[in-house]
Amino acid sequence: MTFKIGELKTDIATLKNLEISLGRVEEEWEEPLGPTPMPSITSLRRWDYKLLQRYKPFYLPFCDLCCLCTFGKCDLTKGKKGACGIKMDAQQSRIVLLACCIGAATHTGHAREIVEFLVERFGRDLPLDLGDQVDLEAPNIRLVTGIKPRTVGDLEDVLDYVEEQIAHLLASTHTGQEGDPIDFESKVFHAGMLDHVAMEVADIAQIAAFNFPKGDPNARLAQLGLGIVDINKPVILVIGHNVIPSIYIVDYLNETGLKDEVEVCGLCCTAHDITRYNDRAKIIGPISWELRFIRTGVPDVIVVDEQCIRTDVLDEAAKIHAPLIAASEKACRGLPDRTYDPVEEIVEDLVSGRQKGALILDMDKVGEVATKVAIRLAPERKKFKALPSTEEVIEEAKRCLQCGFCQKACPNSLPIPEAMAMAKEGDLSKLAELYDYCIACGRCESACPSKLNIITMMVKSSEKKVKNEIFKVRVGRGPILDTEIRDVGRSIVLGEIPGIIAFVGCANYADGGTELVEMAEEFLKRKYIVVASGCAAMTIGMYKNDEGKTLYELYPGNFDAGCLVNVGSCVSNPHISGAAIKIANIFAKRPLRANYMEIADYVLNRVGAVGIAWGAMSQKAASIASGFWRLGVPVIVGPHGAKYRRMLLGRKEKRENWYVYDARTGKKVYVGPVPEHLFYAAETKEEAMIMAAKLCMRANDTTKGRAIKLTHYIDLYKRFYGKMPDDIHLFVRRLADIPITMKDEILAELEKKGWKETEIPDPTLIEELVRVKEE
Amino acid sequence: MKFEPYQTAEIPGPLKAIPVERPQTVAGIIRNAKRPIVIMGSKTFDVVPEKTLRDIIQISKQVGAEIVVTGGINKKFEEIGIKEFKSMPAMELADRLRDPEWKGFDGKGNYDLAIFVGFRYYYGWLILSGLKHFSPEGFKTLSIEPYYQPHATFSLYNMKIDAWSNYISLIKESLKEKR
Ligand code: SF4
Ligand code: SF4
Ligand code: SF4
Repeated sequence: MTFKIGELKTDIATLKNLEISLGRVEEEWEEPLGPTPMPSITSLRRWDYKLLQRYKPFYLPFCDLCCLCTFGKCDLTKGKKGACGIKMDAQQSRIVLLACCIGAATHTGHAREIVEFLVERFGRDLPLDLGDQVDLEAPNIRLVTGIKPRTVGDLEDVLDYVEEQIAHLLASTHTGQEGDPIDFESKVFHAGMLDHVAMEVADIAQIAAFNFPKGDPNARLAQLGLGIVDINKPVILVIGHNVIPSIYIVDYLNETGLKDEVEVCGLCCTAHDITRYNDRAKIIGPISWELRFIRTGVPDVIVVDEQCIRTDVLDEAAKIHAPLIAASEKACRGLPDRTYDPVEEIVEDLVSGRQKGALILDMDKVGEVATKVAIRLAPERKKFKALPSTEEVIEEAKRCLQCGFCQKACPNSLPIPEAMAMAKEGDLSKLAELYDYCIACGRCESACPSKLNIITMMVKSSEKKVKNEIFKVRVGRGPILDTEIRDVGRSIVLGEIPGIIAFVGCANYADGGTELVEMAEEFLKRKYIVVASGCAAMTIGMYKNDEGKTLYELYPGNFDAGCLVNVGSCVSNPHISGAAIKIANIFAKRPLRANYMEIADYVLNRVGAVGIAWGAMSQKAASIASGFWRLGVPVIVGPHGAKYRRMLLGRKEKRENWYVYDARTGKKVYVGPVPEHLFYAAETKEEAMIMAAKLCMRANDTTKGRAIKLTHYIDLYKRFYGKMPDDIHLFVRRLADIPITMKDEILAELEKKGWKETEIPDPTLIEELVRVKEE
Repeated sequence: MKFEPYQTAEIPGPLKAIPVERPQTVAGIIRNAKRPIVIMGSKTFDVVPEKTLRDIIQISKQVGAEIVVTGGINKKFEEIGIKEFKSMPAMELADRLRDPEWKGFDGKGNYDLAIFVGFRYYYGWLILSGLKHFSPEGFKTLSIEPYYQPHATFSLYNMKIDAWSNYISLIKESLKEKR
């Protein structure tokens, strides 16, 4: 539809005689259009520059070279320029942008597939109903594009926009295009913002079409872990992120009355999403469980869709004599296309082993073939459903040369040679211990000259543990309810709920996944709102207390203080950014539609939310994080996250960086370093927890709220570091900010630093939001 | 193998750390610095034997270098009776080290030699890379980890812990002799 606007006044801008076309969407939305509908790659550059002025990139190059074109390779060491004139800082930001484009394109492609599929099956008019407690169904889409989508068909217009923008972003990475690091970073933010839009498209479409939980805080608990599979039944393993093939498997089982006869279990986000659809489906775990589970020999057939799947899955499947079905155009794995062949022929070829796998792009056929193959093969495959014996592991260990190549190849430098030396003597305890810190990447095996099956040996050595991997995870509930936002918005904005901590991202943990559980529990006990998604949400469920309960059983699933919300898979992340947006809109009544800058300014200055992506690994995780940054939500990553090769760091001692406008007076007011960083790789979980508590402080905190936030920050700091932090003076604005219980200590610190009271403004970074201009 | 990056695939590029074979040379590098600083990472207590830790602290004292610990190992330092140290998250510290205007912990200006030990290999690798490319003129890094860190200005080489402990104590002795 095309808008004709005579004059549009918003807080940000006045637009005159503007004509805006928003695709095919039939618009009947009463909210006036904001200043930046479908922003181009520079429309929000001004906002990005404000952020990047405070949070300066610190590049950690992975390589001294650039090899992107035939002018190169070019040596960019220490200020040298490449043949195209680019310097190292711009080159690094270019690589970050490429990563974020890959991430955003991946979710966009995923969303496009879902939408196309649903339009074909159900028509464009399938309504986007997210339940009666979610009126604001698409906060990211509305905010960015100005479209209020009512049907699945409306989402096509949203994706048209996103795809076009990604093409522009990608183009800007070409040799000789963008050359300034800050402009690259602005484009990184743009990619991230688009990614949240695309993910939102994918998730609201699948929630509406497949009737996933619609924000239900009491969404059921699903089974999780390596020990949950009934190996006496035929087992179908689904891996990936696009749930459609899995849905067709489950539907086929239901329609044919086989649902009790066959086990369906999943890895990665497909697993999350299939449990949102079906109450019998089970989750094995995050991506790092892939090799482990396949090596147990349990799956009878493996169905892969898209994204984070091991690219050697075909070889691994062949090793256990399980056929592989590839069900996505984006990951054909070299398999013959059997989409148009009769089901029985495909089944015969797979069961007989004539073919190791098949590419099938017809979802009905995927469901039928996978089921039939699993049922036919299960009895024959019984002999493969076993790990090697202990004796075999010991014998294998005797072939170890103690060369140490495995340890050098291991991303976590695990002492495998030591474990092998012990195993050779019959002691498997060290191998079992390493299991907890291993991310099952297989690099050690690739490096091993003796071709030892190190992961299999570890799994066997941990057999007891593995059998006890029987956990619960709350099924991804999707959106945060509008009612919940109304209930907690005020406490969050005033700072009385100390913060929202979102555990997101993959499972590339430097020191094991238990660290994530410990962090989540710490913040739950402290009555933060804890939110989770993706692999992180699974990891949080992979620990039981003495009574055998997981955090999901111990803490309610509401969006409220001291509660634990699993929003769902990767594409559910926009429910987290969406919650921040909803607080600004529903609670604070800030105009939402196409009004990105004002809403981001609101979130940065008022909503104490922090993401912790402790095991972030993928390019998708990079773009998800950058979407949070542009919205004013800082993200902390674990040690491996340093490999994203760029931090966005504030300098707390540079007073000039921490001024905002007081929207009431227009005066520039110092507010302290809140939040101090936008992107930061911590070395340890302790450092991350302290930083997260600190990053929840925001300029708008009331004195009561600031006192609560300071209490947590100081308490954590003292617990882990054994003393008072030395920067409290930067966060205390008034005497009333000081937590009563720590008054004397803090006053002594303040006195040492020559602290003086400062004002608490109505904070904004945007000049136009000042209501009364100073003369 | 001695002067290869310890972790497979961590290949840096054309500018690699100058490998230092002799502890006496390391002592010379440290002695020649005007404002050295010793930075001990979160893995210090996992990697460094206590005797060697004390040697490193002794070395810092010998040349008047401040010690900064990162990643929250403060408490462990206090537990073994070491009180004189600063602490700061590693990324924040690295970000400041690259800033010629930074005044340092004592307000006397930025440092000219940052000595690194006790980091995860890749984490230290990346920080050293950031400093290699973006630090001020004249600023140098020295990795005294028990392995080769190619992004440092100077680095020790891949060695077993016992040999390394010995190497570190020889640095200390060498500094003592030449005082
Ligand atoms: S893109 Fe530029 S820096 Fe990279 S190889 Fe080509 S000319 Fe060299
Ligand atoms: S599979 Fe485990 S032990 Fe092997 S390299 Fe990867 S993390 Fe290290
Ligand atoms: S690489 Fe293989 S042979 Fe070498 S130490 Fe490791 S397990 Fe043993």
